Amino acid sequence: MEQTTRRFFVFLTLIVLLLAAIFFTGDYRSRYTFAEDLLLIGLSPVQGFFSQLGWRIYRFTQAVRDHNALVEENKALREELAARDNLRYQLMELQKENYRLRQMLNFKERVSYELLPAQVIARDPSQWFETITINRGYADGVERNMAVVTSEGLVGNVTKLARNSAQVLLLTDSRRAVSAMVQRTREPGAVGIVEGYPEAKGSLRMVNIPPEARLQVGDTVISAGIGGIFPKGLIIGHIVETGSDQYGLLQQAIIRPAVDFNRLEEVFVVLQLPYEE
Amino acid sequence: MSELEINKHNLSLYLMVFLLSLFILVLEGSFLSVFFKSAKMPDFLLVMLVCLAFIWGEQTGIVLGLLTGLLQDLFFGPALGFFALAKMVVAYLVGLTAREVYKDQLAGPMLIVFMATFVHEFIIFFLRLLFWGHGGDFFYFLDVLFLRKAAYHLLLAMLFYPLLYRAGRRGFFHVFQKQ
Repeated sequence: MEQTTRRFFVFLTLIVLLLAAIFFTGDYRSRYTFAEDLLLIGLSPVQGFFSQLGWRIYRFTQAVRDHNALVEENKALREELAARDNLRYQLMELQKENYRLRQMLNFKERVSYELLPAQVIARDPSQWFETITINRGYADGVERNMAVVTSEGLVGNVTKLARNSAQVLLLTDSRRAVSAMVQRTREPGAVGIVEGYPEAKGSLRMVNIPPEARLQVGDTVISAGIGGIFPKGLIIGHIVETGSDQYGLLQQAIIRPAVDFNRLEEVFVVLQLPYEE
Repeated sequence: MSELEINKHNLSLYLMVFLLSLFILVLEGSFLSVFFKSAKMPDFLLVMLVCLAFIWGEQTGIVLGLLTGLLQDLFFGPALGFFALAKMVVAYLVGLTAREVYKDQLAGPMLIVFMATFVHEFIIFFLRLLFWGHGGDFFYFLDVLFLRKAAYHLLLAMLFYPLLYRAGRRGFFHVFQKQ
């Protein structure tokens, strides 16, 4: 009986200690401890190996299953690529024109993101948190809060760092919030907050949108660049549903993310945000 | 068995569980996550822990819960101690109930894995609410996570429990113990 009581007190003490550990390490620590770092340094290549193995098997099984569909998709992609090339040239022309106009207005400009390519080596398998692990860490110049993107759009930001790996909090996590606006209108007063929406797995929710903002289903939502973490103008997703919030005072919208968070393989870390003077 | 022998035996068990947990976490996070969307991924680590805590009792369960939970925190946790707390409490409770249930029959551990999944997910829901202020819609999680996950785990326990039980009886967890 005495032993059982002693065990119970040890158990209670451990609960208190763990609660304290969660409190002190939750949002404040950006780096792992030395011991954790050491373990992760050894394990990152192993994670990378298993991740690559998984993707290879996945691609092979998909290719076997969808051979005909792939031929069709390949054709469609080639056509899309040609169209995009065309669009890219138009964009380059516009950039040049933009540059010339800015020069005329005496604007000094530096519009280049410094991007670091990274490979996704793990993903949190528990359904409670939306995080991935990438194979770049503080040794590569990655810092806490740096934005992570793909060519499709915004992915999330770096939260914890080891020497050669880092944890990235995805946009779909309910702890994440990003200031955003609708690309079509770009109304300065119509900035809302995009957050994870766990009740609809894989979707995002834009809240706190002023009632006068003009929203339409299909509108593209982009980052507003407020807060200094996420670059302005990156695509977050497209509106699939609009409505009022629970109090009927503000608007909210459900967003389908531009990035397929279930198929993230390679990403870019934004080492330096562009700035204008 | 003397106390020294018990400690040596436990150290070997902890080391084996540590290595198994590492393997499971790497497999879950890096390999299986490619095939499973996150909402359908079972928690193999939890199933293993519950089976082991059921076999070895609450004292060993506490240590195994801490060990596996801290490893999960290292890989994926939002804070150090988050999964460790959930897994330690579950392992302790499972260890306590194990005294009253026959270990060589499958029905008991299957039911315990089912209930342990509920407790584990509820603790996580509560901790999210406590530390981040947004647990989410409880009834959504009850349906999608608690019930479905518990059902997956019940099926997995049918496979895992006999394997781990036999492995334990044949000395698999004693391989690091000097004779």
